[in-house]
Amino acid sequence: MSAIFQDDDDDSVKLYSEDPAWADVVPIPQYQGVDALAPINYTEEYQDATNYFRGIVKTGEMSPRVLQLTEHIIRMNPAHYSAWQYRYRTLLALQSPLEDELRLMDRFAIDYLKTYQVWHHRRLLLVALHSVDAAAAELRFIVRALQDDAKNYHTWSYRQWLLAHFNDEARLWAGERAWTEELLEQDVRNNSAWHHRFFVVWGSGVRKGDEDREEVRKRELGFAKDKIALAPNNPSAWNYLRGVLDHTKTPYSTLSTFVQLYTASSAPAADVFDLDNPPPSAGAELPSVNALEFLADIHEQEGQTEQAVQVCVYVVLRYTFTKHFVAQIWKSLANEHDTMRKKYWEFRIREAMQSR
Amino acid sequence: MDSSRVAVIFYSLGTLDLLGAFESKTTAAERESWRKWLWEQQTHGIYGTGFKPGPYMTPEGQSSESSEYDAPHLIMTYTALLSLAILRDDFSQLDRAGILAFLRACQNDDGSFSALPRGGESDLRTAYCAFVISSLLDDWSGMNVDSAITYIRSCISYEGGFGQAPFGEALGGTTYCALAALCLTPSTPSSPRESRLTPAERTRTIRWLSQNQTPSGGFRGRTNKAADACYCFWCGAALNILGAGDLVDRNALATFMSQCQFKFGGIAKAPSERADPYHTYLSLAALALLPPSDADSSWDLPKLDPLWNASEATASWARAHIPAH
Ligand SMILES: [Zn+2]
Repeated sequence: MSAIFQDDDDDSVKLYSEDPAWADVVPIPQYQGVDALAPINYTEEYQDATNYFRGIVKTGEMSPRVLQLTEHIIRMNPAHYSAWQYRYRTLLALQSPLEDELRLMDRFAIDYLKTYQVWHHRRLLLVALHSVDAAAAELRFIVRALQDDAKNYHTWSYRQWLLAHFNDEARLWAGERAWTEELLEQDVRNNSAWHHRFFVVWGSGVRKGDEDREEVRKRELGFAKDKIALAPNNPSAWNYLRGVLDHTKTPYSTLSTFVQLYTASSAPAADVFDLDNPPPSAGAELPSVNALEFLADIHEQEGQTEQAVQVCVYVVLRYTFTKHFVAQIWKSLANEHDTMRKKYWEFRIREAMQSR
Repeated sequence: MDSSRVAVIFYSLGTLDLLGAFESKTTAAERESWRKWLWEQQTHGIYGTGFKPGPYMTPEGQSSESSEYDAPHLIMTYTALLSLAILRDDFSQLDRAGILAFLRACQNDDGSFSALPRGGESDLRTAYCAFVISSLLDDWSGMNVDSAITYIRSCISYEGGFGQAPFGEALGGTTYCALAALCLTPSTPSSPRESRLTPAERTRTIRWLSQNQTPSGGFRGRTNKAADACYCFWCGAALNILGAGDLVDRNALATFMSQCQFKFGGIAKAPSERADPYHTYLSLAALALLPPSDADSSWDLPKLDPLWNASEATASWARAHIPAH
C-alpha cells in the first residue's frame, strides 16, 4: 500500500494518458467535494491509473487491457476492492483461464500476505472453477505460504474454507492430519496447527479411516498427552485436550492419573513408565499451572468443592509467593508461572464457594 | 487507506473524543467541514443507502448516486455513524429506511453479512457492524435476527473464543464482535437473550479470554501469540461484556500500554513498534474501560460504552439523535 505515498523517481513510469493504446478511453478524475478529511497525496502514477479505471467502469468495458490496468492498480494498492471486483467480473466475461489467474495470485499472495482481498479473490476463483485439481494445487500453495508466516490468519482461514467447500473430496483431506503433526513437530506451540487438527478430526464430519470414534478419541487424547509431556506449560496442547474431552463428553476425571504427574512439584521416578500416562520430560517446569487448573476442574466436575477450592488457593499462594519473592530474584521464572492470572484463580475460588 | 478512509477517521476522532480534546484541539469550522465530508460519503443506490470509505471511486461531478463499483460498505457505515455522533451531528440527513434496506441487501442466507451488497468479506466483523447499526437505529427490521445469531454461534471454537468465520481459530477481535452482537440484540421469541451462550460456554469463554493476558500485562489475540495493544481492548472489553472485567489485572495492563507509547506520540501494537490511529484509539478505549487502580488523574478517561465502542457521552448523543422519532 505504501506505493501510493511514495514519490517515484523512476522515469520509466508509464502513464496511460501518454499511451496511444488508451487514447480512446476518457479518464475521469476523482470527485473532490468538500475539503477532504485526511487528504491522501497520491502519486502521479496511481492517480493516472485510477482516472482510467473510473473511465473504464463508466463505459463497462471488459477486455484484456482491463486486466492489465486492474493488476497495475492492485500492485500499487492491494486493498482497492473495486479494482478486485471489476477484475473478477472481467475474468469471467472474457472466459479467461482461471488457473492462470491463480498462478498470478501465488506471486501476489507472497507480497501482500496480510491483505484480505488477495485471499477473497482466490475464493471466488475456486468457487467459479469448482475443480478438485485446482483445490489440490491451492493446498500445496498454502503449505508454501505458511513456511514464511506459520500463523497467518488469512492463510489458515482460506485453507479451512477450501477444505470445507470441498468437504466430500476425500483426496483433499487425506493428508491433513499427518500434516498438522509435521507442523507441531516443528513448533509444538503453533496454536493454528492445533486448531487445524481439531477442525480436521472433529469439526467437519467423519473422515475415511476415522469411523471408529472411540479409537479416534483414544488416539487424539494420546497425541495431546504426548505433546504435553514435551512441554507441560503449553496452553495450546491443554486446550486441545480439553476440547477433545468436551466434544466427546468425556469426564475430566478419566485423566486423573495423567494430570497428577504434572501437578506434583517434581517429576516421578524415571523407572515408572506407562504408555497411557507419559511423564513430563526431563527438566520440565513443574508443577504446571495448566495441570493444576485441570485438577481443579476435575474436582468441580465431581462435586468435590473443598478439593477444588484447595487447588485454587494453592495456585493463588504460589502466585503471591512467586510475585513477591521470586520475581525480584529471577524474572523469567515469574514469567513462566503466569502470575497475571491470579485474579482468575481468585474468581474460581469465589465461584466454587458460591456453588457450595 | 484509500479503501478504508472512514474507518481511519473514526479511530482518529475517537481518540480526540476519549482524550476530551475536541473543544481545545479542533475549531467549529473544522468540525463542520468534517461532518460535511462524511455526509458526502452517504450514497444511495439500488441496494439502499450506506456510507462508502471515501470518494476514491466516485467520478468527478457526481456524488450521491452510487454505481455498482462505488457502493456503500458495511464497516464504513458503522464507523461513519459513530464518527458523526462524535462530531455531534443532528442526523437530519440520515436516510434511515435506506440503511435498513442496505442491511437486508448485505445479509446472506446463512445469516452472515457481506461488507458490500454483492460480495466482499463476510465474517464476524461485518456481522458486528450490522448489529451495531441496527441498535443505533433502534430498529431490527433490517435483518433476520435468528439466522444472524445462528451464524455467530457457528463461529465458536473449542478453545472458548470465536473465530473470524465458521471453522476459524479463536481470535480476540472477533470474540469481542460476537459477544457484543449477542448482547446488543433484544430477545426474540425463539432466542431469549439469556439462551445465547450456555453456562458452560460462558465459563469456557471467560477462561480463554483471561488466559490471554500475558505476563507482559498485555493481551494476546490467540493462544501462544505475543501481546498486542489492540487485543487489550478486544479481550478486555469481551470480559467486561461477560461481567468479568474484574479478572483483568488492570495495573499490569496499564504498564503494558505505557510501554507501547511511541516516542513521537500515539500508541503502537507492541513496545518499540510504530504508532498508528487504530492501536492508539483501542488502547485508550481499553484504559477507559479498565482503568488501573493506582492511577493518578492523568489517566482519567471518560466512561466507555463497551458494546458500541464509543464514549458514553457520544453513545447517549447517538441514542438521542440516530433513531427515527
Ligand atoms: Zn493489533
